[in-house]
Amino acid sequence: MSVTTTPNGYKLDTGGQRVVIDPVTRIEGHMRCEVNVDSNNVITNAVSTGTMWRGLEVILKGRDPRDAWAFVERICGVCTGCHALTSVRAVEDALDIKIPTNAFLIREMMAKTLQVHDHVVHFYHLHALDWVNPVNALKADPKATSKLQQLTGPKHPNSSPGYFRDVQTRIRKFIESGQLGPFKNGYWDNPAYKLTPEADLMAVTHYLEALDLQKEFVKVHTVFGGKNPHPNYLVGGVPCAINMDGDMSAGAPLNMERLNFVKARIDEMKAFNDNVYIPDVLAIASFYKKQLWGGGLGAKSVMDYGAYPTVNYDKSTDQLPGGVILDDNWDNVMEVDPRDPTHVQEFVNHSWYKYPDESKGLHPWDGITEPNYDVSSAKGTRTNIEELDENAKYSWIKAPRWKGHAVEVGPLSRYTLAYAQGVEYVQEQVHKSVAAFNALAGTDLGAKPILQSTTGRTLARALESQYCSDMLVDDWNALIANIKAGDTATANMEKWDPSTWPKECKGVGVTAAPRGGLGHWIRIKDGKIENYQCVVPTTWNGSPRDPAGNIGAFEACLIGTPVERAEEPVEILRNLHSFDPCLACSTHVMSEEGEEIVSAKVR
Amino acid sequence: MAKIETFYEVMRRQGITRRSFLKYCSLTAASLGLSPSFAPKIAHAMETKPRLPVLWLHGLECTCCSESFIRSAHPLAKDVILSMLSLDYDDTIMAAAGHQAEAIIEETITKYDGQFLLAVEGNAPLNQDGMSMIIAGKPFSEQLNRVSQHCKAIISWGSCASWGCVQAAAPNPTRAVPTHKHPGIANKPIIKVPGCPPIAEVMTAVIAYMITFEKIPELDRQGRPKMFYSQRIHDKCYRRPHFDAGQFVEEFDDEYARKGYCLYKVGCKGPTTYNACSTIRWNEGTSFPIQAGHGCIGCSEDGFWDKGSFYDRLSGIHQFGIESNADEVGGTAAAIVGGAVAVHAAASAIQRATSKTDQGDS
Amino acid sequence: MSDSSISTDMSHEITKHTEAVYVYEAPVRIWHWVNALAITVLCVTGYFIGAPLPTMPGDPSSSYLMGYIRFAHFASGYVLAVGMIGRIYWAFVGNHHAKQLFIPPITKEHIKGMIHEARWYAFMEKESVKCVGHNPLAQAAMFTMFVFGTFFMIITGFALYGEGAGMGSWQYEYFSAWVIPMFGASQDVHTFHHLGMWFLIIFIIAHVYASIREDIMSRQSMVSTMISGWRMFKDNRP
Repeated sequence: MSVTTTPNGYKLDTGGQRVVIDPVTRIEGHMRCEVNVDSNNVITNAVSTGTMWRGLEVILKGRDPRDAWAFVERICGVCTGCHALTSVRAVEDALDIKIPTNAFLIREMMAKTLQVHDHVVHFYHLHALDWVNPVNALKADPKATSKLQQLTGPKHPNSSPGYFRDVQTRIRKFIESGQLGPFKNGYWDNPAYKLTPEADLMAVTHYLEALDLQKEFVKVHTVFGGKNPHPNYLVGGVPCAINMDGDMSAGAPLNMERLNFVKARIDEMKAFNDNVYIPDVLAIASFYKKQLWGGGLGAKSVMDYGAYPTVNYDKSTDQLPGGVILDDNWDNVMEVDPRDPTHVQEFVNHSWYKYPDESKGLHPWDGITEPNYDVSSAKGTRTNIEELDENAKYSWIKAPRWKGHAVEVGPLSRYTLAYAQGVEYVQEQVHKSVAAFNALAGTDLGAKPILQSTTGRTLARALESQYCSDMLVDDWNALIANIKAGDTATANMEKWDPSTWPKECKGVGVTAAPRGGLGHWIRIKDGKIENYQCVVPTTWNGSPRDPAGNIGAFEACLIGTPVERAEEPVEILRNLHSFDPCLACSTHVMSEEGEEIVSAKVR
Repeated sequence: MAKIETFYEVMRRQGITRRSFLKYCSLTAASLGLSPSFAPKIAHAMETKPRLPVLWLHGLECTCCSESFIRSAHPLAKDVILSMLSLDYDDTIMAAAGHQAEAIIEETITKYDGQFLLAVEGNAPLNQDGMSMIIAGKPFSEQLNRVSQHCKAIISWGSCASWGCVQAAAPNPTRAVPTHKHPGIANKPIIKVPGCPPIAEVMTAVIAYMITFEKIPELDRQGRPKMFYSQRIHDKCYRRPHFDAGQFVEEFDDEYARKGYCLYKVGCKGPTTYNACSTIRWNEGTSFPIQAGHGCIGCSEDGFWDKGSFYDRLSGIHQFGIESNADEVGGTAAAIVGGAVAVHAAASAIQRATSKTDQGDS
Repeated sequence: MSDSSISTDMSHEITKHTEAVYVYEAPVRIWHWVNALAITVLCVTGYFIGAPLPTMPGDPSSSYLMGYIRFAHFASGYVLAVGMIGRIYWAFVGNHHAKQLFIPPITKEHIKGMIHEARWYAFMEKESVKCVGHNPLAQAAMFTMFVFGTFFMIITGFALYGEGAGMGSWQYEYFSAWVIPMFGASQDVHTFHHLGMWFLIIFIIAHVYASIREDIMSRQSMVSTMISGWRMFKDNRP
């Protein structure tokens, strides 16, 4: 039992009760979390563990760089497409391929559609049950629920008492059947749930509405990429050729009907964000006005690469500009350069990997990954872990750091950076939401205390979804304008043939993935992938400790959070889910040296 | 055993009239490609069947199968979850976590032994003692085997559970194995629904068929439901006339790409891929990869990651060098043999000439 | 056919004949040339199925190039398969030379003959063996390359044809249903079918060259034998 303070300022106390949550559910992939809870039921130590590893970069070695997008896309089926996009950007960067404007706009629309879809599904289907109690919704008065709906989201058409009564009846019969399905063994009598029955009923209703609507949003991917999940991408542009007004345009990938179809989906996204998602988040948040904890690293150090330029290849036009803020100093936004070997580095001394010198970090272009699964100092056996030892290796996730600093990534980081850098749209959104929150909660809080919390992380995600649906409208209009101006090119095939490539080259691609800044680093030699590395958002957020002892964002957000019942992880899940963890993304990492181990282990 | 409600009872309780219930049944019959005479049979099945408990386990995967599942339009995912199945364990959507979640597995095994369905998404790795996929501190392998001993049947969702998929691509660093090859898996019927991911409506239709007809759909030799996997994408592709006419996209975004010609020459694997993409299509029939201008990458086929570039028509053959295909290997071999023949012919001619001279001299 | 050594040891048919012998009966000769034509068509069309010709512009209804190429391929495939069945039938009812094609070269004497022929091709022997049918080395090549190769192509070919004919077709039930799982996936069957074509092309190169060379340099006629059926001998030594 020891008390220590980490270099990034968190007091850790390993005394008290140790609580293990494995699996952490309602996330993508597999994760374990252990916390120490003191006698006041406050979390004093947290240990987050990625519990899966797939080794995708080893698999990529020696393959055609033009195929890489499909492999890395399968890192994650939830944020589907963002790894593919990052991959084609990295390959194009390495080979110096510039894509046509239409391809840029179509890729932007696919990326923003993903943001909206992912954020909506995350909030309603992965995160909502941390805030909303469906059992409690049975006690609601449908008339009062209707009033609440008209107060918080007056423009949403589904607001009649009869509508809510129908949904309530359906939920009641479902719960009364005794077969609770996904709601089984939930923590429904835990006082950590704060909503009124009416708010619960409204939220459950929107859980079902969102489930119906999310399948509409992704049809934008289906038009441009052929399917969802896992739409198709192309190095050099997009595969969907444009034929607006010519011979056989009906059978072409993109024509007027297809673009109108996309527009209809964009309008649905915008309406849902404006009328349902944002009002719901604000309404729910107002019931948790006294639970504004969990800011963690998000209240201190944040990072993003910057995203959504209005002019391709011009970072200065980013609509969500990137950078790094350290120690909550919003006046000093530093630049992040993914090519600089001193900026992004990964450490492994607490990860189940091996480096020759584990006190140092490695830049992704020079990364090494050699699996080294070792739980010898943990409680339990090698194949039955009871309690991990956070002073030894304890996760399949590496620890990436920016110039040695632990930083948080994600919508909250992007919004912090955009707000600090004076992006008007973002500032207006934040001010409006703060005012709405205060009005509903009867408080008088500023932007920081609301944003720098579990609630704030969830709110920033909703605001980003709304921003993206507005940007989607702009992108669609820009695409039409560009086609109207006579440009119908969708792919640059000049360097498609590997014989046109340099003998050796390297590139980097960055994207604003739903969970935060995503980077892929590639080295190409003789037309084949020599080394491939991904540093993904959940690697940043879910990272274990680094050699200096800094803790990552998941662990930081839990420190100091009080829990109602130590044995029921409602608050822990709520805090962790506010990051939208994506474990399959974070734990695939592998590189150059990888193949040796493979030959030793497999053959 | 607790009283289990039938599908019909659930629908009635939820305020659905008998009339719309019957309409639902005939639509189900139509969507399954059955004649209208099947509608009463479906109605009867749904009136008498309890909601089927399902344990949906996740191994090494990317969750694309679950994501696809919730895209289902007919039936809607919410109707499947609320009215058709009892999805008691699915770590992607379930409220409970940690030991409250794991307790559900044991409870289901006790309460519904031999009665529930095991749905597997992803697969189990065997390297690192199985600990590159940990659930509740233990290898996922153990959970998979334990649940398989007590289930009624197994659905292998997607290419991971059916074939191995991306983590099993060469060199398969974690030694991930599909469900049917997993050491210790119980000898239960396995229905493979491959695809990365499978089409949403295919997933829900397989479930609906099993509930409605109380039997496993007819499977082909590789264990896939014949109703969706008996034809290649090529066989029903809307661009097939262009293939037959010899009209191909030569390069992306060329004149022919804009006319929707056949993508065969830019690597489309439609001719070798068994799936329903060209008939049922994706996301409520909105489109499918070929319509959106990219060739099929063959994601429902065994080992599709290791058949060479997605943009080459012919498979890569790694045994013969870094980058070669059947034509290069065969052409090279034929050239070598041809060269050898020429040399041999020349040598023969010389020998003949010299021996004739010898004879002349003698 | 009075020589007892011929009837008991058909495997390589080394002979002491001095006069012409009727070796290839008409059905064998017809089969040979029809088969040669079918294989030629199969190779050419097969190659273009794997690597199609440049795009035909215009409306799809105005041309059917791939369709014709594939039709020619399938039709020739049937000719090859039916011819093979006929040839097997003739192995039973035809003269004893007709059986030689299907006999694996495994006897001791045969191997001795093979070594001799190999040395003859390597210019290490002054004279070839004198044969009525195939020489021992040719018989080995015929069996391992041609017979095995052709059976492989017929089986994989029908497996691929069955994919298009669909489940329920006899091609699918008898071929695709087991061949595809055996190879793993449809794409693999395509790849090996394609490699099989090159295997046969290599055989053909060697076969054509060896026949012409034997015609000129060995002690018996070759090319004309497959036309007339008669084997002529150039000397009367044993």
